Amino acid sequence: MKKFTRKFGAQLLAGIMLVGMLTGCSSGVKDNSGGEGEIKIAVLPKMKGENYWDACKEGAEDAVAELNEGEKVTLLYDGPPQDQSTNQKQVDLLEGWIAQGVDAIVIGVVDTTAIAPTLKKAKDKGIKVVTYDSDTMPDARDFFVNQCSVNSVAKGLLDAAAEDLKEKGYGDGKQANLAIVAATKTEKNHQAWLAEVKELLKTDKYSFMHIKNEDTDVYYPGSDETQCQSQCATLISRMGEGEDKIQCAFSFTSMGTPALASSYDAAANKPDAGKIVLTGLATPNALNSYIKDEKNPLNKGVLWNCSDLGYLATMTAYQLVKGDITGDSTEITTNRLGTSVIAEGGEVILGDVLIFSSDDVDNYNY
Amino acid sequence: MRVENKLRIDFNAALVFILIISFFLIANQNPAFLSGEYIISVVLKNAIEIGFLALPMTIIIVTGGIDLSCGNMMVLASMLGGIAAAKGGSLLGIAVTFLVGCACGLLNGVIIAKIKVPAMVTTLATMYLFLGIARGISKGVSIYSYPVTDFLGNALVFGIPIQVYIYIIWAVIFVTILQKSVYGRIIFAIGRNEGAARYSGVNTEIAVIKAYVLEGVMAGFAALTWIGRFTSLKYDAGTNLHMKVITVVVLGGTSILGGYGDMKGTIIATLIIAVLNSGLTVMGMPVDAQTIVQGTVLLISLTVYALINMQGKRKKRPKLQESGGEKMQPLH
Amino acid sequence: MTTTKKFSRFRTTEFYLFVFLIAILVFLKIFAAGFYDINNVMSILNRFSYILISAIGMNLIIITSNIDVSAGALISALCIIVALIGKKGLNTGVLLISAIATGILISMVNGLIITRLRIPAIVATLATTQILQGILPLSVNGSIYDLPVSFTWLAVKAKIFGLIPGSVVIAIVFAVIAIVFMKYSRYSRQLYAIGNNMTGARLAGINVNRVVIISYMIAGGLYGVTSVIIATGSQRVTPTMANGMEMLFIASAVLGGTSTTGGKGKIEGTVIGALILSMISSAINYLGISSDWSDAVMGFIILASVVTTTYKKKKKRVIEGAEQ
Repeated sequence: MKKFTRKFGAQLLAGIMLVGMLTGCSSGVKDNSGGEGEIKIAVLPKMKGENYWDACKEGAEDAVAELNEGEKVTLLYDGPPQDQSTNQKQVDLLEGWIAQGVDAIVIGVVDTTAIAPTLKKAKDKGIKVVTYDSDTMPDARDFFVNQCSVNSVAKGLLDAAAEDLKEKGYGDGKQANLAIVAATKTEKNHQAWLAEVKELLKTDKYSFMHIKNEDTDVYYPGSDETQCQSQCATLISRMGEGEDKIQCAFSFTSMGTPALASSYDAAANKPDAGKIVLTGLATPNALNSYIKDEKNPLNKGVLWNCSDLGYLATMTAYQLVKGDITGDSTEITTNRLGTSVIAEGGEVILGDVLIFSSDDVDNYNY
Repeated sequence: MRVENKLRIDFNAALVFILIISFFLIANQNPAFLSGEYIISVVLKNAIEIGFLALPMTIIIVTGGIDLSCGNMMVLASMLGGIAAAKGGSLLGIAVTFLVGCACGLLNGVIIAKIKVPAMVTTLATMYLFLGIARGISKGVSIYSYPVTDFLGNALVFGIPIQVYIYIIWAVIFVTILQKSVYGRIIFAIGRNEGAARYSGVNTEIAVIKAYVLEGVMAGFAALTWIGRFTSLKYDAGTNLHMKVITVVVLGGTSILGGYGDMKGTIIATLIIAVLNSGLTVMGMPVDAQTIVQGTVLLISLTVYALINMQGKRKKRPKLQESGGEKMQPLH
Repeated sequence: MTTTKKFSRFRTTEFYLFVFLIAILVFLKIFAAGFYDINNVMSILNRFSYILISAIGMNLIIITSNIDVSAGALISALCIIVALIGKKGLNTGVLLISAIATGILISMVNGLIITRLRIPAIVATLATTQILQGILPLSVNGSIYDLPVSFTWLAVKAKIFGLIPGSVVIAIVFAVIAIVFMKYSRYSRQLYAIGNNMTGARLAGINVNRVVIISYMIAGGLYGVTSVIIATGSQRVTPTMANGMEMLFIASAVLGGTSTTGGKGKIEGTVIGALILSMISSAINYLGISSDWSDAVMGFIILASVVTTTYKKKKKRVIEGAEQ
């Protein structure tokens, strides 16, 4: 009798799971049986559900919609959740796509080196690999669609900061301490931008700004929202007038910049907004209310057109698959953006950064 | 004992059944899944580190303990090993990897067995500690693979990744340890009633410490293949890994309360999770839906185990105390 | 004898923890004076408040020798619900009530699974964590932004004397209620009884299942309060806001002297535990150490604290045994 119950239990277990699997399969599966000549482009952002990446996604969707007028192009889009934006998750997704036999992969890389073996494997299988936003090792991809040159980003941020600082009375006679919120130390872009910022700080134009102690004044909260909020709050509390305080802070991430502004709003004893400056990279939508708020020291935001970035990356992937461009090409032509230059090392450059303020923040919708 | 065996065989048969069914369901949806190369190089490879860690975790859970720090233990071992290898070559790297793994395991084991701090608390703290040390020492940057790990992570022997062979060897060893050896019987005895085991003359402290050190050793193996497979490693690589490992062990039929468990079940469950993980991705199911499927599978299997347990064991067994000495009450 | 006994009764885990806290504060005063900047203190207190509120709930659960690893995922879910309601421009009171109600409801499911299906708490809540974490991003497409200004009322406007964040007041109110409740209520005695000896408690006529389910429901309500504080921190809410926080709550309770084997633990300890944990990251920054070390410091403090308290107790037991 007892044995019977157990056997029954084991079968029950198997049965229930079977049903679960079946329903799971039938509901979750998209139709993968594409016809001949169909092109599948898979887009993998660093994380899903964050407005910067969502804006890039829109661009990719635009590109596919445009292409679908003449061809059959399918867009696969998936990415790690925001709190698990790790290399492992990206690899899991890539392996699945490689097995499915997609034609091109467009990826915003989380970890420059760790992703390389998987991307190389994809390339060996004849899949075209395009990175966007942040790059992997050059030999692991075909092209890197770069939003703008490193110099342009660093200069854009420093210009935005310097302009506001000067308005608030800083300059050659009055030094300003600088703090930066980045994401992680393995983030290749951030390291490059930081290095460039440090280089630029040595030039006369920006010499009144300093990073006093890189260990404590450059923050690396990662991609976790609450971590980001709490570290930004710490940073705001260190801001104000005086040698040992920080007068200017900017963020390299689209999460950090609004977090700086909201931490300022939430601060109990606000540092004088006329004495400090906040700015950084973020989408105009995310900063809109802060920029318009006169009491908030965040007056300017810096970014590139991320919808165009997603568009250009997807188009590059498509043209690679079609053979319209090859590794030797020096430019790429698209309907929306005209001709874009392909620089040395397979870098497609989107354009310059965009500095927006209360005058024009309403003109952008992403 | 005989009934016990019968029960386990039935469970394992059910697990194998699930494995086969899910396998063919996925293959049916997307034939690409069936390609030998995919099964070998992706399905197996992706779960191998979880597999390594799950083997000793089964022993730990059977003793009534748990190890939340295993993922970060792997990260720390890998990190320090990589740093050492960069300075003194591959051999030093491997030595340091295993030394660190063993040291971490020993630290857990001693605090749990000797000082009698509950396993969950100890490993919760060491989870942060190992992660933090790895993060602090590496200053947040990646460490890179070295020749030996390149080999362990990527080499193929007769077309099958070398880590699969290593896993099979260890799987056999661990099945023998838990199911056939004296040590295995001691482990079950500790899990069912640590006090009784101690009074019958077993050095339970040493036995428990050994279990945690074994976890450290396997974390060493996981560390080597992980860094080889990805060519580099960052401090956050172990995020949530412990939860996956525990999921596998529990799915395999080991009771989280200790005293009951089966190494073969763990091995089959590792394969199920591997198939589900890679299979659902191949089918184009969004990452989030996969999480739901995994959670549901876990919940259903737990429910069924619990139902069977309620049926099977009318005899109440004493509530197991993780911290043996402190609250061990005489059994009337 | 009586005086030493009195003194030893005074020297509880909470007492040592308090001494430790004072020591840290003095240390910071000497080596990182900037730490006491009013803004920094207030931002720490805000973090402290939401950790504490949930840690109180977690504490109740742990006292019954259960655990809840789904707290983080659950709070993330509640944050999204709060944001969806907040988008309509409703005030913070409505947000609080709806978050608490939903929290109680979802957490009750946890309690039911654990007691009715007899699945051990750690694995049951592990499974619900996975399910919650999967459902969230699927049901909400990305983060919710452009929330109205009124949404951040609690974080921005609600300040006592224009200084102390409203969240801190809420936390203190809950902590005081919890301390009184745990001292004098019949329910709390049942909690401890279950944690100490479940079979004994059952034989003594306690409805174990009901008490456990209620502990999960109370915790769920408290998670709701936490979710409002976290979500209203800025005008943007993402579906992963609190993921992983459960470990902080458990750590606060454990650091505060609550034993995960159940039956032991005071709210006073949890308060100090939560305060220490919420200070670490900021304190390290002010001490001029890279924040890369904050996890290590946290792990070390928890480990050192549990090892010393357990070791002390063990020694005491041995001595008492010798006297007999």
